[in-house]
Amino acid sequence: MSEPEYTIALEGVTFTYPGTDIGVHDVTLGIRPGELLAVIGPSGCGKSTLLKIIAGFVQPSHGRVIIGGKDAAGIPPRQRNIGIVFQTYTLFPHMTAWENVAYPLKLRGQDQASRRAKAVDILGRVGLGTQTEKLPAQLSGGQQQRVALARALVFDPQALLLDEPLSALDAALRVEMRDEIRRLQRMHHIATMHITHDQEEALSMADRVAVMQNGRLVQVDRPRDIYARPVNREVADFIGQANLWTGHITGPTNVDTPFGALTTLPHGRNTGDTVAVLVRPEGLLLGRGPGGVNSFTGTVTRDRFLGSFRRFDFEIGGVTLLGETGDMGEIAAIYIPPTSIQLLPETGSAQS
Amino acid sequence: MRRGLFFILAAPGAALFIFFFLIPLVVVSMDGFTGGGSAFLRVLRSDLFWGGLRGSLILATTASVFSLIVGFAVALHLSRIGEAARTVLVFFIALPLTFSGLIVAYGFILSYGRAGFVTQMLAMVGVDPVTFSRLLFSPQGLAFAASYYLIPRVVMLLLPVFVNFDKAQFIAAESLGATRGRIIRDILIPQVLPTAVTAFCLIAAVAIGAYGTALALVGTQVNILPLQLYSMISETGSDFPAAAALSLLLMAMCSCIIAIGEIVAARHERQDAHAR
Repeated sequence: MSEPEYTIALEGVTFTYPGTDIGVHDVTLGIRPGELLAVIGPSGCGKSTLLKIIAGFVQPSHGRVIIGGKDAAGIPPRQRNIGIVFQTYTLFPHMTAWENVAYPLKLRGQDQASRRAKAVDILGRVGLGTQTEKLPAQLSGGQQQRVALARALVFDPQALLLDEPLSALDAALRVEMRDEIRRLQRMHHIATMHITHDQEEALSMADRVAVMQNGRLVQVDRPRDIYARPVNREVADFIGQANLWTGHITGPTNVDTPFGALTTLPHGRNTGDTVAVLVRPEGLLLGRGPGGVNSFTGTVTRDRFLGSFRRFDFEIGGVTLLGETGDMGEIAAIYIPPTSIQLLPETGSAQS
Repeated sequence: MRRGLFFILAAPGAALFIFFFLIPLVVVSMDGFTGGGSAFLRVLRSDLFWGGLRGSLILATTASVFSLIVGFAVALHLSRIGEAARTVLVFFIALPLTFSGLIVAYGFILSYGRAGFVTQMLAMVGVDPVTFSRLLFSPQGLAFAASYYLIPRVVMLLLPVFVNFDKAQFIAAESLGATRGRIIRDILIPQVLPTAVTAFCLIAAVAIGAYGTALALVGTQVNILPLQLYSMISETGSDFPAAAALSLLLMAMCSCIIAIGEIVAARHERQDAHAR
């Protein structure tokens, strides 16, 4: 039997919570075998609902959920064979670390010796080989999350769902766990959906990132493409640092912004259109541009030294621009190369 | 100086403890042991005592099992509803705890007695009032009435366990492949069990010791130890050393049951700390 293109596929999936418009609307999305797909969006954008739909805890009112090439409609959560790691770990407090990990194997009828061996083995692989007899209460948050991860992987599920698994951990541990999750996910070559509201987490871990807004999927792309080519103002704002202004088209290569006129690459928009003008901080260059194009003088109002680079606020006629550079010298003027300027729809999910 | 202050502050409590707990206990003990413990022999040799013990144990077990089952279900339900509704319901459920046993008995007589409200209603559909009301004045009826003030105790003890129970565990277990039955068996019960055992022992001890409701309902017709003690002290009132001995036995039994509950709970927790 050939492997389906997607381990998990959603086709036009819609679900709204009774009496509200909150939920997910017409979501079509696929997770390839071995792929880590991050779903990112602000609180209440529907990303957790999406996870519940895939896990089978919520039934979509429209559309299909296809898991391993089969329509999952009517298949209860316990039969979907999907590992889930929750934000709050949800370990069973009365079971030791190995008993927690062995529980799915117990449910699958494996004898105690073999399930214990498997649990201890995988706990060793997440760095908890010496903690197998401990109760969850005796483990730190990071260790508990590792146990939860081991428990979600031990029964060879066909997919892994991570519901904000790092948000309860402190910052340093979070970064460490990112690599740990990625390493295990690669090792098991398991299709994974990682729900998060932390864009840095999504960009650094995922093969592809899906951005959700108001229950709709607005963009699915590789991390660098999402950053480089956001489809609208909200995505640009949500992913990475951004200078965003409302602008008006004044010509085929011209746009007016609150701090002055900019020359762009040919944009094909109509004169008079309102657009969002995006310039990433690293797109701001120091000094004056060739022929004075898009060059501005102003003053640095804030300057943050961040080791290998600095992040500065540059004020031009009451408008503050955010810039990043490795140049630690004086800044008296900046210029914005036309290639650094992107014009995006002001709002909504229209294609750009 | 600080030591002196400690004694001054501790004095009222100590006095209360000595005068209203220790002295009565010592006096009863002394009374029981007059004649070199022969009073205990007299009690233990009488068939009445063993009959009473049997009656008390049956009553306590029936009432406790019934109360535990009902209390468990009620607490589980209360943990699932909204906080405001829960507060109101808990208030009403806790109310019986403040009632005297006599009031409870009187309420039951007015409801289920020979001329009781419920008995009369049932009589209209052909249930014989005499047969029906006899149920109330039996050990089973007694157990039923005792449940009235035992169930709230179970609910009060179990409710915090259910409320604090992380329900996400159910979802996690289900995603791992557990059926509803397995979730209850593997996840819920083991975590609730220590408290349930403690609750069972506590209400069993209460049921064994309680006499107010029993006295009002059945007089001294049903042979249970507290009523035996009552009649030894009040009616026939001739053998006070034996009454004291019976008091001590009753007290020891209740203490033992409470101790069993505590030991089981503690052992369960210890078991939790190590692998099973």
